Amino acid sequence: MATRPVTGEQRAFMTGNEVVAWAALAAGADIMYGYPITPQNEIMHYWTRMAPKYERGFLQTEDEISAGFATVGGVLAGKRAFTATAGPGNVLMQEAMAMAEMMRLPTVVVVTQRGGPSTATVIYSQQELNLTCFGGNGEGLRIVYSPSSHDELFLYTIKAFNSAWKYRFPTFVLGDGYQSKMREPVTIFDPEARGITMEPCHPMVGLPGLPGEERDPAHLRNTYNLEDELYEVLMTAIKEYEAIAPQVVEWDTYAVDDAELLIIAHGVVSRAARAAVVSLRERGFKAGYFRPVTLKPFLAETLRPLAARARNLLVVESAYGQLKRQVQAGLYGLETPVTGYLRPGMGITPEEIVEFVHAKELI
Amino acid sequence: MRPLKLKLEAMGIKVLGWETRQVTGWGEAGTVLHPAVRWALHQEGDVIIDAGYGTAGAGTLHLLEGAGTASDLRVLAVINTARPATATVEDIIVHVRSLGRVDGLLNNTHLGEETTVDLIQAGARKVTAAARELNLPVVATAVMFELASFIGERDICGNPVRAIKRYMPMAFW
Amino acid sequence: MAIAAQPQMPRVWRAETKPHKFCPGCGHGIVLKALGEAIDALDIQERTIFGCDIGCSLLSWDFFNLDTVQTHHGRTTPVLVGIKRARPELVVVSYMGDGGAYAIGAQHLVSSASRNDLVTIIVVNNTVYAMTGGQMAPTTLPGQKTETTPYGRDASLTGRPILGPELVAAIAPPGAYVARGSIANIVQLKNFIQKGLQNQLEGRGIAFIEALSSCPTNWHTNAAATWRFVEKEMTAYFPVGELRTPEEKAAGRLQEVPPRGFQS
Repeated sequence: MATRPVTGEQRAFMTGNEVVAWAALAAGADIMYGYPITPQNEIMHYWTRMAPKYERGFLQTEDEISAGFATVGGVLAGKRAFTATAGPGNVLMQEAMAMAEMMRLPTVVVVTQRGGPSTATVIYSQQELNLTCFGGNGEGLRIVYSPSSHDELFLYTIKAFNSAWKYRFPTFVLGDGYQSKMREPVTIFDPEARGITMEPCHPMVGLPGLPGEERDPAHLRNTYNLEDELYEVLMTAIKEYEAIAPQVVEWDTYAVDDAELLIIAHGVVSRAARAAVVSLRERGFKAGYFRPVTLKPFLAETLRPLAARARNLLVVESAYGQLKRQVQAGLYGLETPVTGYLRPGMGITPEEIVEFVHAKELI
Repeated sequence: MRPLKLKLEAMGIKVLGWETRQVTGWGEAGTVLHPAVRWALHQEGDVIIDAGYGTAGAGTLHLLEGAGTASDLRVLAVINTARPATATVEDIIVHVRSLGRVDGLLNNTHLGEETTVDLIQAGARKVTAAARELNLPVVATAVMFELASFIGERDICGNPVRAIKRYMPMAFW
Repeated sequence: MAIAAQPQMPRVWRAETKPHKFCPGCGHGIVLKALGEAIDALDIQERTIFGCDIGCSLLSWDFFNLDTVQTHHGRTTPVLVGIKRARPELVVVSYMGDGGAYAIGAQHLVSSASRNDLVTIIVVNNTVYAMTGGQMAPTTLPGQKTETTPYGRDASLTGRPILGPELVAAIAPPGAYVARGSIANIVQLKNFIQKGLQNQLEGRGIAFIEALSSCPTNWHTNAAATWRFVEKEMTAYFPVGELRTPEEKAAGRLQEVPPRGFQS
């Protein structure tokens, strides 16, 4: 019987990629399928070194297409399977994720965003929001978490497995190259130590009993013959997705009660946004910050009353409007003007945000 | 690395290694040895070699000319017990044994900005216990400048304390 | 089904979904019968997982009393490899057409062969993309007319037919089982498939069986012409027989030497 990788809680100092590997171990992930692409490679490096000790599996596949489809196979078999990718690999991964969406498969994918499109940079961006939230040829019935610290990267990687298996929508942890590579203190923990019970896994194929005699065989498909058949299947999934949204959505706010300027950011950029708000408040400006932790389902209804009270909204992101578009779509009808500080592929500092706020007279 | 390199050179330390613009495009394969580094052991004076990133840094040491025979060469394994892979005495022993030639250990237990004296001392105990088992000396315990005065000249196991000033936050990659 | 004479069916076939959906004269029914008989003979119904591709093979999604997953085009093998690696006690069968196996799924085939993945792959070769209306496929014969080669396949522009079993036979490590059968000889085909399943059960390596098959719908042939195409014209390009068996030793030329690493 293999030992538990993490007991109780431990304070540690490590890179984001190592955090993901430890979180997957702590969550009881059974197997990782992966393919090399910067900046997530170390997830595989750490996993392959630690997996044998804890009797977990690994297969490096021939590309991200097969990594995605092998992950699909792993969850069909009833195991906590996951993969990780970035950039062009994320593009290839979408085919398998579309299948996972249609068939309600609890896949977990960690995405470490890099510059895009195409090969671009291996470094950092927030340009894979569109792809990770909507990349399949469907309606985007997915759960997407955007962590902003190593503590959150650890927590939400564990939560991703639970949300995936509980709600049966493909689930993603949307990190980025900066988080992957930087070192900071983090508390790693055994989920039990924090009262988190891991959601049990059930196979969809290879069920017990003789198929056709002791039970019906599982005949799983992602294809339909007629419009009506598809419509019915989709609407059932959509209704379920909308019903579970309130249980899944998470967000964070700071100084919003009397905020005249509401700054909206996600992931690692939200640290700069929060620092900018602190800095503005220190000089008497009434700024506030809203941070979606779940990008999907998107929490338009939570944001709406906060946005309505403000005089200006500023969306800050390392992309050219991917978050801003979601905000605008979600808040349609609201008259509060929305401005964007949009820096695709670039890191963003609190000072830049403050300078922009004043330059555009947003407050 | 460039601002760091300039700063160290201003202090009289010659830094051998690539400049960022020379290695742009090499991606994560960038552990290609700079020719000056390869022959570093043949240079006059003290040479400090920092080898290691991720899980396989120690391997590059074998590529240095004269690494097998240099009599003055000391290979130190720098251990941070706040890294889970080297968090217990057993793990430290396994890790050090996997490195090949090691002449001593150096306790570098820290949590960045959150480092405390207790943490460093707890780390010292583990590293010293591992060193005993490995039959290796603990050369020193590294302590950030700001905390050094709280510990003194020796750590709780009697190892010498080296106060260090951190420059690395200036570099990203 | 209350009909006078019940056709003989393998036990593992699901009676409720018969008659099946394949065209009259389609070879799939015969290949699936050979597969069914092999599964029955080995008594592995309880733990066999059947995967099918896109195209006509998709019509087998509810064919068997087996847990089945229909995948994306060319991705059947990686999905089943994912299942097998997660639960090695299951027996996985990857059922594809020539387009899924040799065009869009070729890289997966190459890698699975190299890894000697414990999967039994059956490729139904009918020289066309049938479900989509009969376009040229990797195994279309030179001179053969298809929807995208209306004047006959020009090998100088589009290449020659891919020899899938030969490809797998060339690269798979020892322990692999590779064969090509035909619907024209169902007993032989069933034996090949059974050996292929056996190969997986014994943990020896990959099993790959191509089956020469028919598509009168897209060939626009009558019964006589259909059989002539399968038995005479296809076999001229695709020889029938076993190419690799697991007992063979590796050929002598390559020497396997473990890497020395840094230590001199």
